[in-house]
Amino acid sequence: MARDKIYMEEIFPSPFMQLWQIFRKTPVAMTGFSCFIFLIILAIFAPILAPYSPVDGQLNMLLLPPAWHEDGNVSFLLGTDELGRDMLSRLMYGTSLTFGMSFIVVILSLVIGVVIGSLSALTSGLKSSFLNHFLDVILSIPSLLLAIIIVAILGPGISNTVWAVVIVLIPQFIHITRYAVKEESRKDYVLASRLDGASPFRVLYYSIFPNIVDRIMGQATLAQSAAILDIATLGFLGLGAQIPLPEWGAILANGLDLFYIAPWTVYLPGLAILFAVVATNLVGEGIRHALKLRKDR
Amino acid sequence: MLIFTIRRLNLFIFTMLVLTLLSFSLSFLFPGDSIINITGAINATPYQLEKIQQSYQTDSNIFWQYIAYLQHIIHGDLGISMSSQSDIGSEVLNLLPATIELSLVALLIAMFIGVPLGFIAAIKHNKTADNLILSISMIGYSIPVFWLGILAILTFSINLGWLPSAGQISLLFEIKHITGIQFIDILLSDSPYKWQAFSDATSHIILPACVIAVAPATIFIRLARTSMIEVLETSYIRAANAKGLTFQQIIFRHAIRNALIKIIRHVGLQFANLVTIAMVTEVIFSWPGIGRWLIESIYQRDYTAIQSGLLVLSCFIFTIHILTDFIYAALNPLARGNKYGS
Amino acid sequence: MNLLDIRNLSIELVSDNQRILAVDKVSLSMKEGEVRGLVGESGSGKSLLAQAIVGVLDDKWHVHADRFHWRGIDLLRLSIPERKALLSRDIAMIFQEPMACLDPTTTIENQLAEAIDTSTFTGFFWQKKQQRHAAAISLLHKVGIKSHTICLKSYPHQLTEALCQRVMIAIALARKPILLIADEPTAAMENTNQGQIFRLLASLNQLKNMGILLISHDLENITHWTHTITVMYSGQFVEAGTTEQIFKKPLHPYTRALVDSSPSANFHLPAKSRLMTLPGSIPLLQHLPIGCRLGPRCPRAHQACVKAPSATNFHGHKVSCHFPLTPLKPKRKGIKEVCKHD
Repeated sequence: MARDKIYMEEIFPSPFMQLWQIFRKTPVAMTGFSCFIFLIILAIFAPILAPYSPVDGQLNMLLLPPAWHEDGNVSFLLGTDELGRDMLSRLMYGTSLTFGMSFIVVILSLVIGVVIGSLSALTSGLKSSFLNHFLDVILSIPSLLLAIIIVAILGPGISNTVWAVVIVLIPQFIHITRYAVKEESRKDYVLASRLDGASPFRVLYYSIFPNIVDRIMGQATLAQSAAILDIATLGFLGLGAQIPLPEWGAILANGLDLFYIAPWTVYLPGLAILFAVVATNLVGEGIRHALKLRKDR
Repeated sequence: MLIFTIRRLNLFIFTMLVLTLLSFSLSFLFPGDSIINITGAINATPYQLEKIQQSYQTDSNIFWQYIAYLQHIIHGDLGISMSSQSDIGSEVLNLLPATIELSLVALLIAMFIGVPLGFIAAIKHNKTADNLILSISMIGYSIPVFWLGILAILTFSINLGWLPSAGQISLLFEIKHITGIQFIDILLSDSPYKWQAFSDATSHIILPACVIAVAPATIFIRLARTSMIEVLETSYIRAANAKGLTFQQIIFRHAIRNALIKIIRHVGLQFANLVTIAMVTEVIFSWPGIGRWLIESIYQRDYTAIQSGLLVLSCFIFTIHILTDFIYAALNPLARGNKYGS
Repeated sequence: MNLLDIRNLSIELVSDNQRILAVDKVSLSMKEGEVRGLVGESGSGKSLLAQAIVGVLDDKWHVHADRFHWRGIDLLRLSIPERKALLSRDIAMIFQEPMACLDPTTTIENQLAEAIDTSTFTGFFWQKKQQRHAAAISLLHKVGIKSHTICLKSYPHQLTEALCQRVMIAIALARKPILLIADEPTAAMENTNQGQIFRLLASLNQLKNMGILLISHDLENITHWTHTITVMYSGQFVEAGTTEQIFKKPLHPYTRALVDSSPSANFHLPAKSRLMTLPGSIPLLQHLPIGCRLGPRCPRAHQACVKAPSATNFHGHKVSCHFPLTPLKPKRKGIKEVCKHD
């Protein structure tokens, strides 16, 4: 018996597609997202795209101001530093260092943190309270301080910086995974699959994870902006990337001595850091905003 | 309340133990002889070295070494700095108040600017003011603090000449170091130039405090906005609206109090973040605080100083955490304690 | 003269690209001293209607009506603040879940005192305070709370729900309203407390000649206390009339189903048989049917129900249906055959 369709038909996309659709409708988030993609492309293809080498300088073009200044030269679009190295190329290579490293750092600490966090969420009792307290202690030490200490132990250098920031970001992921998994496991659908006889790992993987992925993604963007700032700060303090690596913080520290004669060597790397962090934060805000809207639906 | 105190005390002691364990292990992780790392006695004669080894019990197993280390710490002996050969304990005590002063002023600035802005953003939700405040707070959150400090020095010190760029107070004033907190010291001293010294110290503290305050202020803006939006959507605000109160009355009498209660708890948690930022800012502004000392020790590979500095700083931050937890719990039961007293 | 005269009020939700008519052309009128019940399932828009009358809806709801008179004054010509000022003096509203509608951080006395009109007080600061205190005590006595000292000092979470509801009624009475709108006042209470609150409302109606608009989802419960009843379904007007007419001789299939679903109407059924209900459930706001919104569920629906029915008046008993239950006007063809099996 065919009934007349009085109700509208509605297609229900998967939660991720819902998130993506809401995200796509926010223009601010999409701008941030396109900047983010731009930075990733820059980070990967910097060696191909950059006009000059970031390390070898041209000794007859020292301290050129940017091209829009009257003394500038258009082939050195953003000017040069005191060794004649092109700022634009240095900044581009710096993208792969500061931004690219932060991306790798976040992925590493995300994987490790989520694994440890979900495993620890499965335990309960004395072990879990012990871990809870331990996490509280580690989370209360400021992240930069911890990173500085680890770099002091391992010695300066960019790979040590990466390890230091990874170790610093892991507790944040552990904390949020634990919290999210514990919250979800109190809900009825997890109980239902557990009553069906699923092993804890299966419950974790098939029932809980798809529902906490969004929260973890939101935290990942926060962690990435913190990672960019930490790597740049360590570079600035001289504890991270060493000369002549063109990491943004290190470029800034370099330019500090010549601040009065060549202020662009300080302005430009700072602007680059600001741009990268703002793009990451916009994407993060967009994800969180879309999450909230999706919940309200 | 008693159980809460005991649990917090428990947590406190546990954390202190973990922190001391961490700093103890650092002496082994740092390159060089662990005993020299702990004490900092690079130029010790063999006789002194043996005495030190005895007091730190290097011959027994690691557990006793740890106990010996704890004993030294409880007596206040944090070793001597490798670079300056002066007692770390007293150096830390000299420098810590300056950092406390800077962080407190920065926290106050952040609160008094961030919280009202957040409230305004929430009241004008989804209108231009809200979006403007949100975008400014996003940029403030993303600026690297060292760049901001350098720009601030450039604009305010060098180009405009309004504010000084380094130090805690001008070298012309000789204020005796009593507590370490400059303002209290000025008030306690009997110099004839008290008020000039006061205004000079104020002008020195404004720039670094404002630079530090930017990032926490943006977090407060966001916190205040979320909490105020939540409060404005509750039933009692709607009931108050139906009661016939004007909008202003509702905001000032009911909404602000309820929104503040939610924020106060997070204020203490921001302190750790603030101290980190303060460390970097101290380096830029040459502020004589513990952050600058710590970073300089790292440059000089002064392992003893790093170890003790880490211990002191982390303990300090954690104490502040526990204190704010405590204060919040103490204030709270006044409103949410007893049930059913009709 | 009618206290409240509303004709064809519609409330629309304008969001993104959709316009959803949450309340569709509802008419309501109340006389002085009348207790009217507004009955409907949750989702039928009765709370929205009440809030629209008092004027506490958000900006996202748009209200328009053909006629919206209060004591002869046309409210549609006034601006929103003027309307609100006029109505807040004469109409008061109490809500569901009274404990959530009181500010958790203010004492009851302060909340009562806010509602009291202080322009009639004379004297100095402290004299006014005493007068406020006395006024608060007298209000509490009016709603039957004898132990006023404890009540005034406590915070809302220290009282029971029923007590909180009495306090809400006291706050509502502070402005001496002519109409009291009670939005499901007893939803969160047990039966004994419900009886108390209803008795209180009835006594207020009799003693002060105060009109009451009693909103509820339980038809059987409120028939004892009301003079007239209006029934709504999914935002549309269904039926209105005296309690006697609605309960004994319902004209609309929905009202009939409501009456039939109460336990007392089902006593005669044999054991283990299905209760008499309408199939299906109330439609969501996103999937509203066109025309008469009961259409998909109504056992008497026909092609004509695709067009929204208008209200017809049978001796003061208004019904909005193309095929009402009792045929009164034999001139309308086609109804007799349809209603033969009634």
